[in-house]
Amino acid sequence: MDITTSHLGLVARVANASKSYGEADGLVTALNAVSLGIERGRFTAIMGPSGSGKSTLMHIMAGLDSVTEGRVWLGDTEITSMRDAQLTRVRRRRVGFVFQAFNLVPTLDVRGNILLPFELDGRRPDADEQRWIHTLIDSLGLAGRLDHRPHQLSGGQQQRVAIARALGTRPELIFADEPTGNLDSRTGREVLSLLAAASTDYGQSIAMVTHDPVAASYADRIVFLADGAVVHERPRSTPEEISTYMLGMERAA
Amino acid sequence: MIASVRPRGGHGASILVATLSSAFGVALLLATDVLSAYITASRLGEHASVRLVLLIVAAVFIVIAVYVGAIVTTNTFATIVAGRTRTLALMRLIGAEAARLRTSVAREGLAVGCIGAALGTVIGFVLVLLGTRAVVAWGILPNLNYPMGDWTIIIPPVVVALTTWLSSWVGSRRVLSVTPLQAVGDSVESAPSEVTGRRGRNIVSLCLFAVGTALLGAGVLVGLVSPFAMLIALVGGVLSFTGLILGAGVIMPPMLRLVGVALGTSVPAHLAAANAVRHPERSSRTAIGLVIGVTLVTMFTVAAQCYQNVLTSAASNEPDLYAGSGMNPVMTATVVVFSVLVGFSAAIAAVGMVNSLSLSVLQRRRELGLLRALGLSSIQVRGMMLAESAQLAIAAVVTGLVLGVFYGWAGAQSLLGSLRGAGLIAPAVPWMLLAIAAAACAVLAVAASIAPTRRAVRTSPMEAIATD
Repeated sequence: MDITTSHLGLVARVANASKSYGEADGLVTALNAVSLGIERGRFTAIMGPSGSGKSTLMHIMAGLDSVTEGRVWLGDTEITSMRDAQLTRVRRRRVGFVFQAFNLVPTLDVRGNILLPFELDGRRPDADEQRWIHTLIDSLGLAGRLDHRPHQLSGGQQQRVAIARALGTRPELIFADEPTGNLDSRTGREVLSLLAAASTDYGQSIAMVTHDPVAASYADRIVFLADGAVVHERPRSTPEEISTYMLGMERAA
Repeated sequence: MIASVRPRGGHGASILVATLSSAFGVALLLATDVLSAYITASRLGEHASVRLVLLIVAAVFIVIAVYVGAIVTTNTFATIVAGRTRTLALMRLIGAEAARLRTSVAREGLAVGCIGAALGTVIGFVLVLLGTRAVVAWGILPNLNYPMGDWTIIIPPVVVALTTWLSSWVGSRRVLSVTPLQAVGDSVESAPSEVTGRRGRNIVSLCLFAVGTALLGAGVLVGLVSPFAMLIALVGGVLSFTGLILGAGVIMPPMLRLVGVALGTSVPAHLAAANAVRHPERSSRTAIGLVIGVTLVTMFTVAAQCYQNVLTSAASNEPDLYAGSGMNPVMTATVVVFSVLVGFSAAIAAVGMVNSLSLSVLQRRRELGLLRALGLSSIQVRGMMLAESAQLAIAAVVTGLVLGVFYGWAGAQSLLGSLRGAGLIAPAVPWMLLAIAAAACAVLAVAASIAPTRRAVRTSPMEAIATD
């Protein structure tokens, strides 16, 4: 019997995952036989310079893109060769997303955006889920904004709505792609604290892709990628330590 | 310089519309010549007047087609400009003047108009030539030496080319509001910015509508005494309908919302309903072309049916007086011919609908990607696009039906109210009309959504995340 993902205390993992684009002469390898597990209930940062493959890795783990070689699991479900319809259901029910920009549907108000994953699934939140969503709305300070449209919100407020939406379905794993990339540093720190709190307070598993050492310093574990391969990983570190390591990577390259 | 870096594309629909309008105009003029040649040959001495009447009728239909074509083209260019905002902003950043950018977009409009007009002329000419041969071969028309046009057939293509140019100029107004900062600005979609509060235009439209409706009412009342009330009603109808067209930006959004609510509360329907009124002005312009066609067809049909009903009831009341009034077949044929000719403008409007939907999908790439990432399945994407298309089609067809029934009834009432025993006529709506309208609406909704849906389904979730 295979060792399952959850036996390892992992919420998602890839084994020997490779991804390449184009063919023959123009072949570009974005990921080169990466094996990595995301730990359940913890906040993991995936770091690396531009072109290191960190975004590709996230897309693959989140079921947004497929691998050329290797295998991918979300929980104990292998999603490697799932078809589009199955992947769509997996994303809808088991994954949450916070993107850098354009997180919200402009024609829906804040409430509509937060409830969107439920509506896409064709159901209403049950009593328990409604309580949870209320808690989220209150703790994220969105109570007075439920009828606002995204364009009426500041960048920080938009990210809070995205976080509320991502947490709302209590997904197994939340993927955050440069969630502070469009924010000023103070608002960025707020958003990072909220993500870190979701992990410590609610045991939410989070995988965040970033190139910002300050953002990565909020994570429990930091994985470094370079040229499509995992090159290093370390436990919680200060921004200075992370920067030093990153600079070392640059010099070695 | 500008020409060399200018992005192209998206002109297929405009060329198609110009081609259709020009082919329609040329074919109609040529057919008029053929018909009047036939009538002249069969009944000598009536040549001038018959040809004049036919020409006037043809001109009315050509004007309607060109008008609808112009609305569609204006809309298309507005959407093309919206889709090019980033590129235009980049040009502004490098130092291009807004006015010159607009001129260059309008120049594309002239080119598009000329290409379409030329294509249409050839197509219209060939159609009539082959059609005449066929009709002669089947023995429907005698084998005469039919004229194949004189200098007048260059009028439709010239008019089409010029209106396309003008439409592209009007539609490219938004180029002036593109700022250089939009090239470097953040990638968050900004607030909906389309201007909806055009007070001046709305006041004019309201006045036209009020005066027109008052005249229509007067026509209906006077019609109880004299059939010449029809002329008052005609002026009233033209004025009030023009008012409605000008005020489309005010009238259509509530209609669209109403239909949107009726489509249900599922996510695809909900999102579609919001999308259809996201750019109220664009949606209104898209819908109004259809409304014009449906209104006119309905008007002719309802008026004819009312007329028939009055004749039937009069004939049953006073059989002696109306014995042998054999108008019915002629009436029916006229209604069918008119409906087909007017229906052509609806076909042009349909092109506009496809185009409007396609370009709006193009502008929503990231949003569609986001929805796909969050779990909108490709089936739900299809549902959303179909609902969006259906919303436009249903709102336009229902509005057109309501207006058409009213105008048709008002026309019939003002013309026939003074007939003995007629009095107030009940509006007569032939069920065939409703059946055809419903079927056409369904076909249109599905057909218009095919290409945009294909594009929407192809949008990958990664497009939402891509930061450009």
